[in-house]
This record gives sequence, C-alpha cells and structure tokens, in this order.
Amino acid sequence: MAKYILKRILRSIITMLIIIVVVFSLLRLMPVEGYFENYDKLSETQIEVRLTQLGLKDPLPKQLWNFLKQLSTGDLGTSNIYRKGVSINEIVAEKMPISLRMGLISLTIALALGLPLGVLMARSTRTRWKLWDKFGTIFIVIIQAVPSAAYHILIQFAGSQGPLKLPMLFSQNDPRSYILPILSLSIGNIAYYAMWLRRYMVDESNKDYIRLARAKGLPGSAISRRHVFRNAMVPLIQYIPNSILFTLMGSLYVESLYSIPGMGGLLVTVIKRQDNTMVQALVLIYAAISILGLLFGDILMAVLDPRISFTRKEGSR
Amino acid sequence: MENNVILSVQDLDVKFTLRGQVLHAIRGVSLDVYKGESLAIVGESGSGKSVFVKTFMGLLDANGYLDGGHILYGGQDLAQFRSEKEWLTIRGREIAMVLQDPMTSLNPLKTIGKQIEEAVVLHQGLKGEAAHQAVLSCLADVGIDQPEKRAKQYPHEFSGGMRQRVVIAIAIACRPKILICDEPTTALDVTIQAQILELIKAMQKKYDLTTIYITHDLGVVANVADRIAVMYAGDIVETGACDEVFYDPRHPYTWALLSSLPQLGVKGEPLYSIQGTPPNLFHEVRGDAFAPRNPQALKIDFVERPPFFQVSPTHKARTWLLDPRAPKVDPPAHILQLREQGVNRHG
Repeated sequence: MAKYILKRILRSIITMLIIIVVVFSLLRLMPVEGYFENYDKLSETQIEVRLTQLGLKDPLPKQLWNFLKQLSTGDLGTSNIYRKGVSINEIVAEKMPISLRMGLISLTIALALGLPLGVLMARSTRTRWKLWDKFGTIFIVIIQAVPSAAYHILIQFAGSQGPLKLPMLFSQNDPRSYILPILSLSIGNIAYYAMWLRRYMVDESNKDYIRLARAKGLPGSAISRRHVFRNAMVPLIQYIPNSILFTLMGSLYVESLYSIPGMGGLLVTVIKRQDNTMVQALVLIYAAISILGLLFGDILMAVLDPRISFTRKEGSR
Repeated sequence: MENNVILSVQDLDVKFTLRGQVLHAIRGVSLDVYKGESLAIVGESGSGKSVFVKTFMGLLDANGYLDGGHILYGGQDLAQFRSEKEWLTIRGREIAMVLQDPMTSLNPLKTIGKQIEEAVVLHQGLKGEAAHQAVLSCLADVGIDQPEKRAKQYPHEFSGGMRQRVVIAIAIACRPKILICDEPTTALDVTIQAQILELIKAMQKKYDLTTIYITHDLGVVANVADRIAVMYAGDIVETGACDEVFYDPRHPYTWALLSSLPQLGVKGEPLYSIQGTPPNLFHEVRGDAFAPRNPQALKIDFVERPPFFQVSPTHKARTWLLDPRAPKVDPPAHILQLREQGVNRHG
C-alpha cells in the first residue's frame, strides 16, 4: 500500500513538472504586450528596459530555471495588468477563501441531500410503484436538461421576490445573502450525486453476491447498508477530493450572477486582459488542483478497495 | 419413507410478468424431498429448475409470483408467505444456497472472514471472539488451510475452487437443514469439480443435511444423487431413484436427454441432439410439452396433458406411453443398451 501511494505521488510530481515547463514555454510565445499596462504609450527603449528588468531577455532555459526557483518559494509572480504590481499570491489569497467557503457549504449540502436521495431512489426500484425513483428521476432530468443559467436565474428571482425577500446579491457580512448562491451551487450536485449513487446501487444490487447475501438470510436493510451502499460509494468517492479541491476555484456563472468576489471567472478575465503572468499562475493552480484531486482520489480508492493496492501491473486501470 | 418428507411441493405454479405478457414458468409441479437425501433436479437451460428452487427461499425476482400451490415445510406453507420478515425465518436458517459462479458470489470489498461471520452472527447467535472462532472452524471444515490468515483476506486472493469452498462455508455457517446447490460446479475447472462435490457430500454427512442439486450436467448427477427429478418446460416429467432414471428411463424427454450424452455416442457418428426448441411459455402449453420435439409422439400427446404413471414405488413418469391403452413404442437404441447394462448391474 505504502509503495503504491509513494509511486502515485512521485508520478504526480513528474506530471506537475511537465505541466510547468509546457505552460511556461507556451506563455513565452505570447506577445510581450502582456507585461505592460500601457504598451502603446511606451517607446522602444522603455519597453526594452522593462523586459530586461523582468528577466525576459534572458535565454529561455535561464528564464525557466529562475521561474522554478521562484515557484519553489511559493511565489506565483506579480500581476502586470489586472492589478499592476500586486503579488498574485495576495490576489488569490483574497479571493480563494470566499469561493472555498461557498463551495464547501454547498458541497456538504449536495452530499447530505444527494446521497440519501440516491439511496431512496435505488431502494424504491424494488417497490411496486417506484415513487421515489420516479420523483427523483424527474428532478434529475430537469436539472440536467435545463441550461443551468435558467434555473440559477429562477432561483435568484424566486428567492429574492415574494415572501422570502432574500438579498439578491452577495455581501460578505450578511449571512442571509449566502442562501441563494449556495442553493444555486448545490442543486446541480444534488442531482449529480443522486443520479450516480442510484445507478451504482442498482448495479450492485443485481450482482450475485447480493443474491447470496439474501440467501443467507441477511435482512434487506442490512444488505443495503453493508453491501450495496458501501460498494456503490467506492466509484463515487474517487471524485470527491476533486470536487472539494475545485470549490477553491469557484463557479464562473454563479459568482458573477450574485457578484461574489471569488475566484470564478478570474482566469477568463485575465485572459481577456492579456495579463500573462496571471494567466500562467492560474493555469498552474488549475493543473495542480486537478493533479492533487486525482491523487487523493486514487489513494482513497486504494484504501477502500482492497483489490487496488495489490495490483502489481502498473497502469492497468 | 413417506414420514420422512422434509419439504413437500404441491401443484406449484409460478408466473412472471414481462412487458405486459405472462410467462408461466412453473406449471403445476409437485415434488417431495426426503430428509437426508440428495436430490438432483436436471433439465436444460430455461426449463425452470432454478426458478423452482428459488421459490423455496422466497428469492424470485420482483416480477415473478406464485400463482397457486403449496410449499410445505416444518408445518408451514411457505407459499403463503408474504413479508420479508417471514422469509427471514427460512433463508439461511432452514434452507441455504450455494450459487453457480464463485467468482461473483462473494462481496469483493469484504474479507472472507467478515462474510462468513455475518452468517454465524445471524444463525448461530454468536458474537465477538466466539463468532470469530466459529468462522475459523467453518473455514477449516471446508478444507481451507491456515484459516486464521485466510479469514483476513479478500475474495480476489482466492482461486475459483477456494472461493466455492468459502461459499459452501457460508452456507454451512447458517446451520441449515436443506442445502440447495445451484449448478455448484458449472463455473469450475474440471479438476476442481470432483473436489467440490466431495466436499458437499462430506458436509452433508457431517451436518446431516438434505441436499438439492440443480444441474444440467448428468455426470454430476451420477456422482452425487440418490434421486433424480427431470424437468422440462416448467414441469417435472420423471422422478425416480438415480439408477431407475439412468437405466430405465420412461419419458421420451429423458430418453432424448440421455441419448445426447457423449458417453453414449458411437465413434464416428454425429452426437445425438434433440431437434427443435422448448415451447414458448408465454403461450399455454397443450398436452405433453415435449410432444412437438418427439418424433414418436402419440396423437393424445398433443391434446391432453398426461398424468403421472407409477413405474415402481419410487419411480414415476408423466407420459401417455405408460398408459395401458398406449401402443408399444420402443425407446431409442441407446436407451435399450442402458437398460441392459442396468439389468446386468443388478444381476
């Protein structure tokens, strides 16, 4: 097990290094305007001087080496356009906690509602009218089929009008203003978790070992809990670390709809404004989060599924 | 022998609803199972043998239901059971089951020990250390070495034969009176098959079990069975002691079944196979269900369902050929050969 995890970590580090090199190199191809706020107004010499200051006139391997050294101290660089002269670490440190807080609350809600809904749906497929299954399927189909923008706006509108009169826009110090964005953020995930858990549970409950568990006289509730649910959770749990980590990056649409000053949409903004150093930093953050998410997911799977840690064959999954 | 009936099925009808149609899977079957015997139910795929025994444990799929008949066991009529709670008094505790494919019949994410322990806790009323000890003795019972170590392992660390031993251990841990083995060796290597059958026989002796085998492998039947019930198209067409059915079969379907044994084939000639396909059970079957595939069928076979005719106190068959008024129809040459062998065998 320890060996498997160690190998997995090592591979993640190598992947990350490759990504750093690729992203760094690609961004050197970008026009140099991306390092200036007022490129048009500057003379040739001013530009030359500035580029030399930034170290961009050095040979590429040296630039890369300097960048790696800078990264290793945890410094993501400085914004040149989005917020000139401000450290990117500072910008991110300001925005990330907001996205993280909203994301974690909504993810918790999604799991707390989505998983029980999935269980109810799966269990009701064995009953005569399959009421929960039908009700849940309608909900899931609506959420999946309607463009999310539509129900986000509906939630914002319905919640802020009528008897509820909840604040339409987010403000840090008003807990009531958290309600609508969190609802918007969690509703899609509720449907997602319910759908997959139901599906995996139905799959599991048709397996032979469930028939054997029934034949040995285990009551239905115990089978559902000890065998079906636990086994159905394994494939889902792999993605939970990823979901948690990605709450750091916020949601583009929901954050702009409720004007939440989080991470959502930051990447799009800096790309549009051609802030090269920020694009580079954010892309690397996204990559790091994905890699960490997969790593934690795989480790969790190895802990839960005894078949994995003993797999000798590398890359068989 | 009559007093020793442990399970008695009477006129059982089982139906399934499939896409609005009704499939009549078991058509008025009666069968007595005697205490301590090994009964083999044989028949081709789809003849309803699995469905038939599943009804003893209330394990029919959700779209299947009993449509009349009785299953008498321990003074109760299991056919009247409606709730899961009632069935839990039977499942495992009275009747346990060994499934066909040991590769899939164990939970891959639980240790072997835990899976046996579930049965021990449920049916032997043990807990903690005592339950653990019972698990180890179960594993030792079914011939698994180093039970202490093996109990902590997961199914993927066991070979197919070993897993089937574990499945048998789970069944035995329930301390049942009847053990149903649903094609227990079909998914196994030929070299392992005999070992598993020996193990089941040993367990039967040690725990005083009644066993019901379901199989289409007549080799298995010859190896283990005291009595045979031949099933075709949802009906039992012939029952008798093992020797009676093997050496003096009476129903044309049993003739055909035995004739298709490779051992009876003549070298150089194509192997006998039964023409046609079994009847569609979505439609009502008239007369003898096997008649359309039987080249020697009588006219009445297409009109009226034959009753059982007693051949000997233990042997009966459901065919008009046994009616005193029936014309004499000779069984195929293979069967005559068998009959001769049988006579010689018994002197």
